[in-house]
Amino acid sequence: MNIAFREIEGRSAGFWLFFAALGLLALIGVSSALYMEHHGHIVTGMDNQIVWGMPHVFAVFLIVAASGALNVASIGTVFGKTPYKPLNRLSGLLAIALLAGGLMVLVLDLGRADRLIVAMTYYNFKSIFAWNVILYNGFFAIVIAYLWTMMDRAGGAWYQAVGLFAFVWRLVLTTGTGAIFGFLVAREAYDAALYAPMFIVFSFNYGLAVFLLVLMGFYKWTDRPLGDMVVLRLKNLLGVFIAASFYFVFVYHITNLYFTKHHGLEAFILTSGGIHTALFWVGQMLLGYALPLAILYSNLGNSRAWIALASALAIVGGLAQMYVTIIGGQAWPIELFPGYAVSSSFYDGVVHSYSPSGVEILLGIGGVAVALLLTTFAVKVLRFLPERLDDETVAALHGAK
Amino acid sequence: MTQLALVIDLNVCVGCHACVTSCKQWNTSGAAGPMFDDNPYGRDPTGTFFNRVQTFEVGEFPCTETVHFPKSCLHCEDAPCVPVCPTGASYKRKEDGIVLVDYDKCIGCKYCSWACPYGARELDEHQKVMKKCTLCVDRIYDETIPEDRRKPACVISCPTSARLFGDVHDPDSEVSIAIRENGGYQLMPEWGTKPANHYLPRRKTKMHIHEDELTRADNPLRKEDIRHETSRETTLDDWLM
Repeated sequence: MNIAFREIEGRSAGFWLFFAALGLLALIGVSSALYMEHHGHIVTGMDNQIVWGMPHVFAVFLIVAASGALNVASIGTVFGKTPYKPLNRLSGLLAIALLAGGLMVLVLDLGRADRLIVAMTYYNFKSIFAWNVILYNGFFAIVIAYLWTMMDRAGGAWYQAVGLFAFVWRLVLTTGTGAIFGFLVAREAYDAALYAPMFIVFSFNYGLAVFLLVLMGFYKWTDRPLGDMVVLRLKNLLGVFIAASFYFVFVYHITNLYFTKHHGLEAFILTSGGIHTALFWVGQMLLGYALPLAILYSNLGNSRAWIALASALAIVGGLAQMYVTIIGGQAWPIELFPGYAVSSSFYDGVVHSYSPSGVEILLGIGGVAVALLLTTFAVKVLRFLPERLDDETVAALHGAK
Repeated sequence: MTQLALVIDLNVCVGCHACVTSCKQWNTSGAAGPMFDDNPYGRDPTGTFFNRVQTFEVGEFPCTETVHFPKSCLHCEDAPCVPVCPTGASYKRKEDGIVLVDYDKCIGCKYCSWACPYGARELDEHQKVMKKCTLCVDRIYDETIPEDRRKPACVISCPTSARLFGDVHDPDSEVSIAIRENGGYQLMPEWGTKPANHYLPRRKTKMHIHEDELTRADNPLRKEDIRHETSRETTLDDWLM
């Protein structure tokens, strides 16, 4: 059975207002980056202890969510679940858009964004960071090829092969993103192989949460039918991914708690870390895991509004997780003299504080806006969204090739 | 292979920060500069420094002593900041083992500062590239400077000569002898980074003196024990005569 894909009309005032609002946010984001570029890092909350701040929280979240957003397509292509097939174009599109938004923030937060060409032309193959540059670029190319095999008959023959390759690539990509932290031996919070699989599971979670919100948003605003069969499948899957995220975080902390040398760090994150402790328990655990799970696996989980809320909460939890992982891990000082209280006029040996400046947050939000702007623009000009996703249409796909 | 390094004698260092300021002075106007300073006289001064003095206390009050610990890039033989650099801007020189940053290739991703277990790297907040101690590479090879002055600025400025400079791979060098004879050690050797810079530990100089050593065994006064009654107008003579 063939699914009819069609562009959204996008002529209403509401559409253009939405589009303009996103454009404005993106513009503010880029302007913030220019402001930081002009005045130097000194106008940010970052210093030599907290070297990656709010822009990286947003950037890594978007990049992780990007690889996760491709999952929906992979379920259809690689695992042969035909009901997911109509969703694969949006899945590929979101993957590209989120990655573009994330990379924009990442690049603009580099000390020397103007030297991007250096990063693209000089590779130190021992550096996981360099490998990530290759993985991100490759991801763009592969997902664009993947979309071509979906959207052009000429590419149809390659659909399975490219889909499988894209699936493997996205796993490697998120392994690379997780390994940026996992390979860091110098900081106590990192240096764990667990980061790679943990980030893969995070990506499933955040990517699907974004996908669900965007899918339900577009179908509601364009009055296209979207059946429960699709939504309930996806929300059940989101529940599994949230639970799996919790599992990995639990294993990470329980392992650290087993090692006496990590007790200081764990006490900092779990009990005495101020904003980090609050974000861990309230942001990540309560809003990110407990509440969405309670919503998705109770009767509330049958309501679209509640599913949307659960997805939004998963995203909030994801941002909180990134803050705790990235900022919390840096705030905990490097221990050069175990057992001694160290002081210096350069903040050595003390828990570092970080107050993100407004421009950093605006740059991060700008990245989110760019991702949504690209998605909205693409669904208007190209055929990414099926006309109908009601239960009959989706049911007819069962067993179909 | 030559491995230039600093050897810092913690027994002698008094924490005066002369090395910090002389380093800043030389390098901010040299090839590694400028090193920015914001609010240098304000409440929250901030700036780029290649060399810092950390201070920690040993023991419990009142039996404590303060240890001043100058710390700059340790020029590790297996430097963790080098492999993580995506563009290869961070590199270790084969000829003398100095770890340097190529400012023109550094994209300012700051990943090396995450990777350094010693916290020795700093982003220059205005130039937005990563900076660190160069062992005054623009000074130690400068033939216009008298030969005995071709040392890092911190070594020359140290008022107590707590800082030595030389090739730690040459067993006959001043630094190697100091390490060998004074129990020189590396900072956190368990990381396996093999820091080239070494520290000489705090040393206590102790003498054991017996009580009889404090008393002259052949004191003639004791032997003869001739003493006169002292008068009210005691003079030195009264003791001796």
